[in-house]
Amino acid sequence: MAELAVLRTAVEAGERTVIGGQHLLAGSFVALALVFAAIAGATGDTFFFRLATEALIFAGLALSVDLLLGYTGLLSLGQALFFGFGAYVSGLVLKHVAPSFWAAVGITLAATLVVGLVAGIIAIRARGVYFALITFGLAQVAFKVVFNSRGIGGSDGIIGIPQIKVEFGLFAVDAQSPAGFFLVTLAFMMLLYGTCAYLMHTPFGRMLMAIRTNESRVPFLGFSPWRAKLAAFVIAAVVAALSGSLYPMLRGLVSPELLAFQTSGNAVIMVVIGGVGTLVGALYGSVVLTVLKSVIGTFTEHHLIIIGGLFMLSVIFFPKGLAGYARPRLERWLARRTERA
Amino acid sequence: MSEVIETLQFVYAPQVVNGLAIGVAVILMALGLTIIFGLLDVINMAHGEFYALGAYLGITLVAKGASFWLCLALVPVVMAAIGYLGERSLIQRVFHSKDRHILTLLLTFGLAIIAEDAFKLVYGPNPYKPESPIPGASELLGITLPNYRLFLIVAGAAIIVAVWLAVYRTSLGAMVRAAAFDSQMASSLGVPVEKVYAGTFAFGVALAGLSGVLLAPIYSVFPTMGKDFILLAFSVVIVGGMGSIKGAVIAGLVLTQVQSISSLYISPVWSDPLVFGIMVLFLMVRPQGLAGRLGHG
Amino acid sequence: MQMLKVCAAVAALFLAGPVQAQPSPIKIGVVTPLTGTYAGIGQQVKWGIELAVKEINDKGGILGRKVETLYEDEEANPNVAVQKAEKLFQVSKVDFLTGTVNSGSTLAVGQVAERNQRLAATTVSYSDAITGAQCSPNMFRVNAKAGMQSEALAEWLVKEKPGATVYFLGPDYEMGRSTVAAFKEATTKRGLKTAGETYAPLDNKDYSPFFGQIRAAKPQVFYTSVAGNDTVRLFSQMAEYGLTKGMIVVGAAGTITGQNLAAVGKAAEGFVTGVGYTTEIDTPENRKFVADFKAMWKTDPDLFGVDSYGVVYFYKTAAEKAGDTDTDKVRAAMRGLEWQTPQGKKTMRAGDHQAILDMYAVKIEGGKFKIAGKVSGAAAVGPDTCTKF
Repeated sequence: MAELAVLRTAVEAGERTVIGGQHLLAGSFVALALVFAAIAGATGDTFFFRLATEALIFAGLALSVDLLLGYTGLLSLGQALFFGFGAYVSGLVLKHVAPSFWAAVGITLAATLVVGLVAGIIAIRARGVYFALITFGLAQVAFKVVFNSRGIGGSDGIIGIPQIKVEFGLFAVDAQSPAGFFLVTLAFMMLLYGTCAYLMHTPFGRMLMAIRTNESRVPFLGFSPWRAKLAAFVIAAVVAALSGSLYPMLRGLVSPELLAFQTSGNAVIMVVIGGVGTLVGALYGSVVLTVLKSVIGTFTEHHLIIIGGLFMLSVIFFPKGLAGYARPRLERWLARRTERA
Repeated sequence: MSEVIETLQFVYAPQVVNGLAIGVAVILMALGLTIIFGLLDVINMAHGEFYALGAYLGITLVAKGASFWLCLALVPVVMAAIGYLGERSLIQRVFHSKDRHILTLLLTFGLAIIAEDAFKLVYGPNPYKPESPIPGASELLGITLPNYRLFLIVAGAAIIVAVWLAVYRTSLGAMVRAAAFDSQMASSLGVPVEKVYAGTFAFGVALAGLSGVLLAPIYSVFPTMGKDFILLAFSVVIVGGMGSIKGAVIAGLVLTQVQSISSLYISPVWSDPLVFGIMVLFLMVRPQGLAGRLGHG
Repeated sequence: MQMLKVCAAVAALFLAGPVQAQPSPIKIGVVTPLTGTYAGIGQQVKWGIELAVKEINDKGGILGRKVETLYEDEEANPNVAVQKAEKLFQVSKVDFLTGTVNSGSTLAVGQVAERNQRLAATTVSYSDAITGAQCSPNMFRVNAKAGMQSEALAEWLVKEKPGATVYFLGPDYEMGRSTVAAFKEATTKRGLKTAGETYAPLDNKDYSPFFGQIRAAKPQVFYTSVAGNDTVRLFSQMAEYGLTKGMIVVGAAGTITGQNLAAVGKAAEGFVTGVGYTTEIDTPENRKFVADFKAMWKTDPDLFGVDSYGVVYFYKTAAEKAGDTDTDKVRAAMRGLEWQTPQGKKTMRAGDHQAILDMYAVKIEGGKFKIAGKVSGAAAVGPDTCTKF
């Protein structure tokens, strides 16, 4: 018990300084998003609104990768499995059951709990790189199954998913309104982010960090690392799937490529660029990658060389990513301000 | 009775022999992966791209007038140099960090993205098919077998034995194994650990390049070819035990036979999930794989 | 003061600019795979379009306006394709969109066009669904669909070897299975027999595990609908095993094209397919087109190149008939439109937006696609099954 207390104080001491920086970064993310929305709204834009909405949706996928990698030390190379699963469940519900936002999100949530639990029981038996390879393989197999299943559109995917209205009781937002759906998605993602950030500051989150630091010590403290890892895996699966469930509402279609390795790989790139173990970095990383892809892709067909190069540079020179780089600086600045005050 | 023999001869035997040729190809890919992992703890996500690079170097040399046999000797040397430089300039940069497993995996993943695009930039998107250096087919007990595949089986087996001898029967190999077992101890005994790391990585990369040249006449050459073997090779490495040469050979042979024979009964689309299922089972029941890792017996 | 004058002069220069400039160009967006497995097809698409646009601009453009093309890489991924299509429609304000290759992307882009009230066309996708069950009022197809290819090939085959047994090998995914099914229907209808069928995974490394079954079935004809790199492997491995001896080898139009013909090499000799184009079509229009294409790109056009070249003229003819670039007016003009292409005259069927073009059975001889038979477009196209408009 004494050991646990020591661990706790150590982690808490670390966190007290961390919280300020992370919250500031999250706050500025929302502020930047709102400034963007104001400018885009004023200029009557639609494309950049929808591109930004897509970036937010993929930010949720990146968030789930960071939840595993940054807090439990598990690198998932197949997180697109759950993202794609959420997108397909949501798309099928919208098209065949009821064109309702809440039905799609609710059924996705319930279905992912089951699928995430099963996949988690298989995957978390493996540690370290084995986990990376097993998630990679699971997603590959799932991709092939979807690609070959005629009942859900096979390689063509599903088009013609109806355009919906997001009902909030007192008012409704049309998912086809670029600004409206952008704001809904922003709120949705910040809710997911907030929940994750909150969870990481509960005893459960501390246990995950303890697992990341030294897994073999955790059982001595009287906790089961297996259960905590499984819980983290399921939560990450749910975050990925819920993000995915918004995709068909935005684009009106789903296709097997949503489950492909490319999608998982992009999420990993987002997390690394944004900053591993920061959660908020995943949001920034997604925006950066989406902008890069959209801009570079217009100028050269060899955008992969540039993105791969930037990615390698950031692994070597900025292993902490954007948020990891900015956070201590912000904190120092905050500390100076508090001192002065 | 004669019907049974006929089925064995005309249905199963060709399947087994074809599976053997594919098995040798996969083992060649897996050997480099498993040696690099066994010593450096590095999952080389770019291994498939090194295989592709070997094949592209091969067709470039052939286009310049070199013979296939010269390529077979020359390409591994060039690839080893590339591997050595790659290890010193990239892997070493993150090797001493706490998260080196993940950082090196990410680094080689980035390298794979760049390499695939670079192949397209230099060689264009369309496939190349080198002429088979040993054309024609032979008939053995009523089974038609292309001569080049027979050569592949023999040459592959020779390479596997040579690799095994190099690791287990030479003083260089002893250094490698010592460094894998306990790098600090090896270092204090005068083993130049840094050079051994780079050398081993170079060796693994050279093996990938060699496989590229050797397999190009059968599997042809195109920018995305690196993805071909990678899932199967990873499965072989995991089932065989990361870092185990013996394990990779056994697992390579068994898994390709499973694929080959099962394709007679089930849709081949399910053969990948089948192999993957075996890999998952192994991870659950025997996570260390068939055999122990390099330097550990 | 001097400074102010200079400023004013510079400003005047800039302001004067647009006034003297020509009318704004007509923009054609091209969303096509420039990376990944289909990059080779994307290249032909680009080359065909570039050539047509150059010719048209040299002769004064469309409706007196220059044509401008904007390319975006869709990575053969429908999710990327929709994003790029929206960018071209909403930011670049393109008048017309083309270039998608895999049918998933084409269907997805068709939906984007519909929701943005613009027009799009495919020059490559041959899935029957695009102008059938999943047809869209905003999507057109100028190339031959899978059903037309099967008709032309089956027609040739039944003359060549009536009553023969056929073995089918398709890539195991939805599209591959449906092409095999279409050809199987076309052959059984004509009295040919099925010796067996197998499906190999996409991006399959080694086909030798299937050879035992094929050999055992002893077919007279071997049909395959694999494509791209897979074809290179299948054909060279079949040749390796001496499997093709005494067998007629036929396949889908995409099985052997300009991209992989060189790589398949000698193993391609004698292969027959049903296709809407070959460089061997002996008309002055086609001879000129092949010569111009070769002069510009140092290589022969293939079916993707020619159909992509033709789609620009399709738009030009329709826009000039409509006298405008307004979506509804151009669509009305496109329906039932007849226009000239190197393949001859094509007609856009109003009911399902499927182009009607003459189909050929072509045989590879000496590394060239020689014409072995011809089916008129009207006979090959089949009934209109689109019920959406």
